[in-house]
Amino acid sequence: MAAKRQLGLTAFSAAVFLFLAAPLAIIAVTSFGEASTIRFPIQGFTFKWFGAVFASRSFMSSLGLSLMLAVYATLLALAIGIPASYALGKTAFRHNTALRSLFLSPIFVPGIVVGYALFKFLVIELRMPVLAGLLMGHFLVILPYVIRVVGASLEQFDFSIEEVACSLGCNRAQAFVKVVLPNIGSGIVAAFMLAFLNSFNNIPVSMFLSGPGVSTFPRTLISYIEYSYDPSVSAISVLLMAVTVALMYVVEKTLGIGSLAK
Amino acid sequence: MRRSLYVSLIAPGLLLLAAFLFYPLIVVLAPTFGSGGPFLGRYIAFFGDPYYLRVFARTVRIGLVATMVCVILGLPTAYYISRRSGRTKSILMAVSIFPLLTNSVVRAFAWIIILGREGVVNSLLLALKWIDRPLTLLYTEFSILVGTVYLFLPLMLVTLVGSMDNIEEDVTEAAASLGASRFVAFMKVVFPLSLPGILVGGVLVFTGAITAYTTPTLLGGNRNMLLATLIYQRAMSLSDWTGAGVIALVMILMTLAVVKGMQDFAKRLDRR
Amino acid sequence: MSYASLENIQVSYDGRTKVLEGLSLDIERGELVSLLGSSGCGKTTTLRVVAGFIEPMGGAFRLNGKDLTRTPVHRRNFGLVFQSYALFPHLTVFDNVAFGLRLRKLSSGDIRKRVEAMLEITDLSAFAGRYPKQMSGGQRQRVALARALVIEPELLLLDEPLSNLDAKLRLGMRVEIKRLQKRLGITTIFVTHDQEECFSISDRVAIMNKGAIEQFDLPEAIYSHPVNEFVARFVGFTNFFDLAKVGPGRFRDSHGGEIEVGVDPGAESCVGAIRPEDIELSGSSAERRNVVPGIVEVRTFLGQSYQYELSTNLGRLVANAPKEQAFEPGTRVFARFPSERIVLC
Repeated sequence: MAAKRQLGLTAFSAAVFLFLAAPLAIIAVTSFGEASTIRFPIQGFTFKWFGAVFASRSFMSSLGLSLMLAVYATLLALAIGIPASYALGKTAFRHNTALRSLFLSPIFVPGIVVGYALFKFLVIELRMPVLAGLLMGHFLVILPYVIRVVGASLEQFDFSIEEVACSLGCNRAQAFVKVVLPNIGSGIVAAFMLAFLNSFNNIPVSMFLSGPGVSTFPRTLISYIEYSYDPSVSAISVLLMAVTVALMYVVEKTLGIGSLAK
Repeated sequence: MRRSLYVSLIAPGLLLLAAFLFYPLIVVLAPTFGSGGPFLGRYIAFFGDPYYLRVFARTVRIGLVATMVCVILGLPTAYYISRRSGRTKSILMAVSIFPLLTNSVVRAFAWIIILGREGVVNSLLLALKWIDRPLTLLYTEFSILVGTVYLFLPLMLVTLVGSMDNIEEDVTEAAASLGASRFVAFMKVVFPLSLPGILVGGVLVFTGAITAYTTPTLLGGNRNMLLATLIYQRAMSLSDWTGAGVIALVMILMTLAVVKGMQDFAKRLDRR
Repeated sequence: MSYASLENIQVSYDGRTKVLEGLSLDIERGELVSLLGSSGCGKTTTLRVVAGFIEPMGGAFRLNGKDLTRTPVHRRNFGLVFQSYALFPHLTVFDNVAFGLRLRKLSSGDIRKRVEAMLEITDLSAFAGRYPKQMSGGQRQRVALARALVIEPELLLLDEPLSNLDAKLRLGMRVEIKRLQKRLGITTIFVTHDQEECFSISDRVAIMNKGAIEQFDLPEAIYSHPVNEFVARFVGFTNFFDLAKVGPGRFRDSHGGEIEVGVDPGAESCVGAIRPEDIELSGSSAERRNVVPGIVEVRTFLGQSYQYELSTNLGRLVANAPKEQAFEPGTRVFARFPSERIVLC
């Protein structure tokens, strides 16, 4: 009886995993098809769609924008989030919990609403360039990830080594750089990856905050899908998935997948 | 830590949050109240309008169904994963986490390929001669539902596995020694102990589903709007910024209400 | 003038809870002073004031004449060893020990020489390239010590450094610490709650209670002549009885029995104390002075002796007697207090 239940559970789980994996596999297959619309199964085999992606100016420029945006937004989030997490983790002020919730508050605002508010306020009313709104929007959305992950790292951190460093002659800043940072390094790297990925993949914020010449990569992708239905989208998907796999591999080798599953 | 240092570490972040989140929200949402009519006039009108009500109901419906499906599919699978160990478990976890890191456009696009008129399902059914005309599977509530489940199932899995991993092996062994079969042990021991995880996962999935934009856009089309796609349409296509603002506040309040509800429910469970 | 002194230190948390009130302490150069007390007595707070982590609300801390009360931690040049050792996990043993020297901008040749010499003294040369997580508790302890000593600190501050070690290591390490301290001549403050450990290595001991120092003296002096009941209990006195003076060196106990004590404290009444092992038990006694009759309630076996709990008209008494002299519970015995063994506090 127990064995039969086991089999049932295994079969069920296998089906669920198939459900998760198959669609992505199908995309991968269609990226190699010859025909100019997407077919499954494919006829012929070609790499031309991959070439088309790299040749497309709109894709490449929006890719560049998304990457640059992700870098700046992540750096800003780290520059703000690491000191804040440090202050919250090291002290025991009674307002710390409330302040931490404030830093995590963007989670409660749907992405599309963030995009809407920033666009209306910054772009329309204050007439700021769209790019500024885009940067701040991404920053807001990814800040909670930094606070959470770096905060978790600091919870494991033994602050007495910071005190010893001071007794040996470090002022506060030196102690932070020489002793605190190296020991929460893996947390910072994990935070960087999560923040970067979530900025790059973000759509709702970027939907509103776009304009002539300013369109993030996912947004360009959506527009393309709405007008054409050819395997270049599949090719892009494959490329994105490949990069994700590579990133996961790097993280696994250095930190272990567990650090991303928070 | 000196107060001045603490403040200088915390203040920049708070200032940015105030300047770019709190203040813009207030400025943008304030006009939705009052002005010429009763204070909550526009909100009453929103819930009185049949079209808006349909969109609202659809959003909640899809949210609830997607959450339930994710729980039903996720619970046994998460249990399966958490009972594995070592390499197998790592691989299964990686397979579960991978979709979470993939762009949601890609994940929705997969279902366009599968559910489209010339998609995988239709081609298959036509080839098997089970149907003689392609089914309309795309741009329906069904396709949004499938896409949403696909989008959030990994999240539910990861949350549940995390919760179940905390349930020690010896608890189930103790149950077995007291005469419980595997199934009974699951129902009476594992399931109740993983309720917190189910709650958290459920809230994450539900709030994600009701605020999602990409999936309903790509898989639902203009005839099946959800609140998120509605905001965009109102603001960008119709320049009805105030109307969009009403929807925005409704969405924020829904999210807050669900999370608060979960926390209160969890507290009640804790007291037992 | 003493080398290091705390004068009238006041420390309170949240402006309300007073942790240290008017604490003063004078330490001579080169001596090892211990702060002994149970948790919450303020010994760690005192140490942290000396280290500079806590700025006192009132009072001053002077070293060699200089007022250091407001000097920041990193400018005091004190060596610190924590209970958790607080080694830098990301640095090797060598780099841990060299850390303070590097901050002082010594040449790398000098640093190498001094670190290697210190590793030699602390028996860690073989581990120079290892990381803290690869070392045992005792070894980490020595690294922490080496790191603190290599900077040639003015003061060495140790906060319960041996509490995390097992009993055998603790004995070995405390000798090590004393040996190093004497060899290098570094003035040291040692915080602990373990009375035996403290008394074995300290030049002087300060017994602390509720934020104040009860007695500050040589270990031998405290052991034989505790000034009050708190200190007496701390060093092993378990039997206390009220005494009223009737003549020079002669007192009456609460039940009217006569007690003669070797010394005259001058006061009209005081509390007498005696150690369990100093009480002499016998089945009968002809004497009337310094003898208290009682009944054996409980007998425990201690290996070399028996410990008896007696009910007497002075209350419960605890007495140890050699195992050759076994009294059954319920027997009537006589407890004799030799006058030279009674302490007045």
